[in-house]
Amino acid sequence: MKAPSGFRRPLLCLLALPLVFSATLSERKAHAMEAATPKSAPVVSDLPAFIDAQIAAKAALAGVPLAPPAEDAEFLRRVWLDLAGTIPSATETRAFLADKAQGKRAALIDKLIQSKEFARRMGEALHIQLMERSGDDPKWLAFLTEAIEQDRPWNEVVRDILAPDFKDEKKSAAAYFVTKRLDKVGSQQTDYPGLTRDIGRMFLGVDLQCGQCHNHLTVADYKQLEFNGLFMAVQNLKLNEPKGELKTKWLSEGLLESKYEFTSVLSGAKSQTGPRVPFGAEIAIPELKGDDAWLVAPDKKAKTDGVPKFSPMRSVAETLTAPENSHFARNIANRLWWQFMGRGLVDPLDLHHSGNPASHPELLERLGTDMKARGFDLRWMVRQLVASETYQRSGRLPHGSAQPEESLFAVALEKPVCAEQFMRSFLRAAGEWERVGEGSSWEGLTDKRHLLKDVQTGFKNAFANAPKEPELRANPSLRGALFLRNNDTVLWALQPRTGNLLERISRISEPAEVAAELFLSVFCRLPEKDEQADLLALLKASADKTKTLSQVLWAMTASMEFFTNH
Amino acid sequence: MLCTPFEHTISRRHFLGTAGALAAGGLGGIFSARAAEALKAGNKQVLFVWLDGGMSQLESWDPKPNTLFGGPFRSIPTSVPGTHVSELMPHCAKQMHRLCLVRSLCTKDRDHSSGVARIQRGDPKNRGVPYPFFGSAIAYLLGPTSSNLPPYVVLKEGRGGFRAEDAGFLGPTFGSLAFGDGKPPEDLLRNASLTEAEDQERNALREVFNRRYAQARRPSLTEASTHAFDTAQELMRRSDIFDTSRLPEKDKERYGRSEIGLHMLIARNMLEAGVRFVKVASFGWDTHGDNFNAHASLVPKFDRAFAAILEDLAASGLLQRTLVVAMSEFGRTPRINGHAGRDHWPDAWSIAMAGCGVRAGCVVGATDKLGVSVESTAHDIGSVFHTWYHALGIDSLSHEYKHKGQPLPLAHEEMTPIKEALT
Repeated sequence: MKAPSGFRRPLLCLLALPLVFSATLSERKAHAMEAATPKSAPVVSDLPAFIDAQIAAKAALAGVPLAPPAEDAEFLRRVWLDLAGTIPSATETRAFLADKAQGKRAALIDKLIQSKEFARRMGEALHIQLMERSGDDPKWLAFLTEAIEQDRPWNEVVRDILAPDFKDEKKSAAAYFVTKRLDKVGSQQTDYPGLTRDIGRMFLGVDLQCGQCHNHLTVADYKQLEFNGLFMAVQNLKLNEPKGELKTKWLSEGLLESKYEFTSVLSGAKSQTGPRVPFGAEIAIPELKGDDAWLVAPDKKAKTDGVPKFSPMRSVAETLTAPENSHFARNIANRLWWQFMGRGLVDPLDLHHSGNPASHPELLERLGTDMKARGFDLRWMVRQLVASETYQRSGRLPHGSAQPEESLFAVALEKPVCAEQFMRSFLRAAGEWERVGEGSSWEGLTDKRHLLKDVQTGFKNAFANAPKEPELRANPSLRGALFLRNNDTVLWALQPRTGNLLERISRISEPAEVAAELFLSVFCRLPEKDEQADLLALLKASADKTKTLSQVLWAMTASMEFFTNH
Repeated sequence: MLCTPFEHTISRRHFLGTAGALAAGGLGGIFSARAAEALKAGNKQVLFVWLDGGMSQLESWDPKPNTLFGGPFRSIPTSVPGTHVSELMPHCAKQMHRLCLVRSLCTKDRDHSSGVARIQRGDPKNRGVPYPFFGSAIAYLLGPTSSNLPPYVVLKEGRGGFRAEDAGFLGPTFGSLAFGDGKPPEDLLRNASLTEAEDQERNALREVFNRRYAQARRPSLTEASTHAFDTAQELMRRSDIFDTSRLPEKDKERYGRSEIGLHMLIARNMLEAGVRFVKVASFGWDTHGDNFNAHASLVPKFDRAFAAILEDLAASGLLQRTLVVAMSEFGRTPRINGHAGRDHWPDAWSIAMAGCGVRAGCVVGATDKLGVSVESTAHDIGSVFHTWYHALGIDSLSHEYKHKGQPLPLAHEEMTPIKEALT
């Protein structure tokens, strides 16, 4: 792991992997050229149309009607939450609803997907998905965010994650996934099987854990070999404490000389393997003797471990992320699909196998192929997904229709709003984002200053899942309910204050305008007739208009319409 | 690390996505006869006292005065003729007619790291999934009582919060709600800026918005939200049970002015308010050094608190339908080490039980003269779990969890309840 990067190239040739390597290299060069002009170039692709045809065909076969296209307001809120990680402001909503231009949805997608907020949102979403709330590290988050900003190919990013370069401070931030997941759990000092499992889950979409001890009992594809080939490379890692120039925990590797032997606890059968990416070919262990095996020989006096020439983990990282590895491409395609459509084509996300095919196998195949053909450009893929009619479909059914199977994607599915999205949306709805999020407009106020990082911690404590619990669905909880009901920051934001929503609407005398501003700010839509009538009746009966509005505002932000992305 | 719950779960999000699952019958599919069990078990409750680190059986339930390893303390007679306990437990001695001691525990785990979880999970061997802690299992099998309060509550020193990992393969919904230092969860109390009436009004408005939203959508998410807010409401309504300033001085004195005393007193209030399963956790029992002074300090605090709650539960009639258990992850070595301490000893140790389904005033099993090994039939943790389930009216020998189509026993299938301990 500590090998200077220049060394690894000839080394890989030693490993009889020249084809993989040269393909990767030439692809990398190709991407480097594309990366110079991707954002402004118009995207010509038939992928959105292909998606819609696939979804429509299966729904027709099942005799299920497709929901109508989402109305503008529904689309607007969804695409903002998905691409910018927050709801739009009332001003933005008004402008979009008033815009009569034909291509306004495509224009909005273009604007959002090229914004800084998109990189922030994608970085955050990847972080939550990969780390599953096991911990936070600002450098790691910055690494992911920058990867999106710079349109780095996802397979290259994953290579940095799996085989981090600790000499390069920026790149070493990528190590957080491995070092954190490897770090001790309970009484165990290191969790090698856990990391092995998570590499499979996160980057190949397969949960191989049962394979530590035996072939999976019900999944024929998940053999003990698949786990142990990867496990062997993982187990060869050593987690070291910060030292000298290495300011964070870092990894080194041991000298690997022989294959790994494992026994099935069920059959007692013995097998062996070298390092191996699941479902791939075994990586040959080079026959290097004595000093030849070392790049830096171990030094007993200085108590240094030495650096072997052969790095099994780097070989695994290269092979796993190679464009030829269709498991890798399909996994990221499926995870993006889940993120934007609310359910994986393969579900659960980490259970890809022949007995659990995708709901739309041809579609997943195509998404995987396109991922590869487009050099694992996540921004490009997201753009295709959100441009589809499938993404832009309504989440509501006409009255009286039966709920179709989720896997048909005939109706837009509800998606979770993570703690961070929720916090930003809440502050924006309440009209407190500028103050808390950007630190402005505090002048003249006697209020205690609410800092973004404190508010964010509060929302995370209330709404994030427990560590290692994937956040796959909206999850209303007791903790969240108590937070919304009684938390000081929540209720502070809903008090009238210069420039915030409540203060704004309290000053409006025309009740219909009050209703419009309130609904646009919180739900990003205009009130329905009956909602408006209800609100007017409430206000008419109220002795304290501001207090009543504060209650309505709270009820809206605590409701399911606000809590989910629909 | 073995297989975790999740790859054996058909659909974890089923749990994750549905706080509403706790509502009656929400997850009927997993436990085939759950509703029937709940009916049979009726309004049973549990008080589980956990003495973390390992209480010495020799300085508590199974004294061996004047023997090689007996230590300095005497034994005293109890309200059950012929049964003696350590002189450090004068109050429990007076409650012995309500207690059932099992002095013949012989378990497998010698370390805290495995023992703490293994003992509380009951953990049938080689199942490849983490079993739920007893509290999570009961929260799942019996659900909340009609009180609608959270079914599994922990009172402990230090930090509170929601602990999903207690629930093992049952999924985070069945985790525990811990009250650190006896304090209520964050944001429990109604915000000072609101009156009760205002709080109700705005909550009713929230439901109006929810109902409208749920039209033409799948109802499950909105139901889960309603359940979460209702539970929050119920907790807020009963926030008095966490308010230590309101506890009568007389009770505080009886339970002892110690952490365990205070927590036990809150536990009593919680049981009275209808929490299904209350766990009181006390720490610092790992006396590798200075065992005797430590126990001289710790045991009397436990003694006072435990005796007081037994007395109160008996007086209110709750004891008839409440299973009471006090235990550690193991006992302590008879041999006294060089630091005047006792180490870990799973080979021969004791637990105390009382309440519903448990035979009162009895001692099950015996250790040899020196307290080194069990002389009668030895009981592993699986038998203890069967015993608890049977005391609560749950037939753990014939009922199973159904998990990803795979049947899993409630407790070790090769073990049976300790008959002598049951009525």
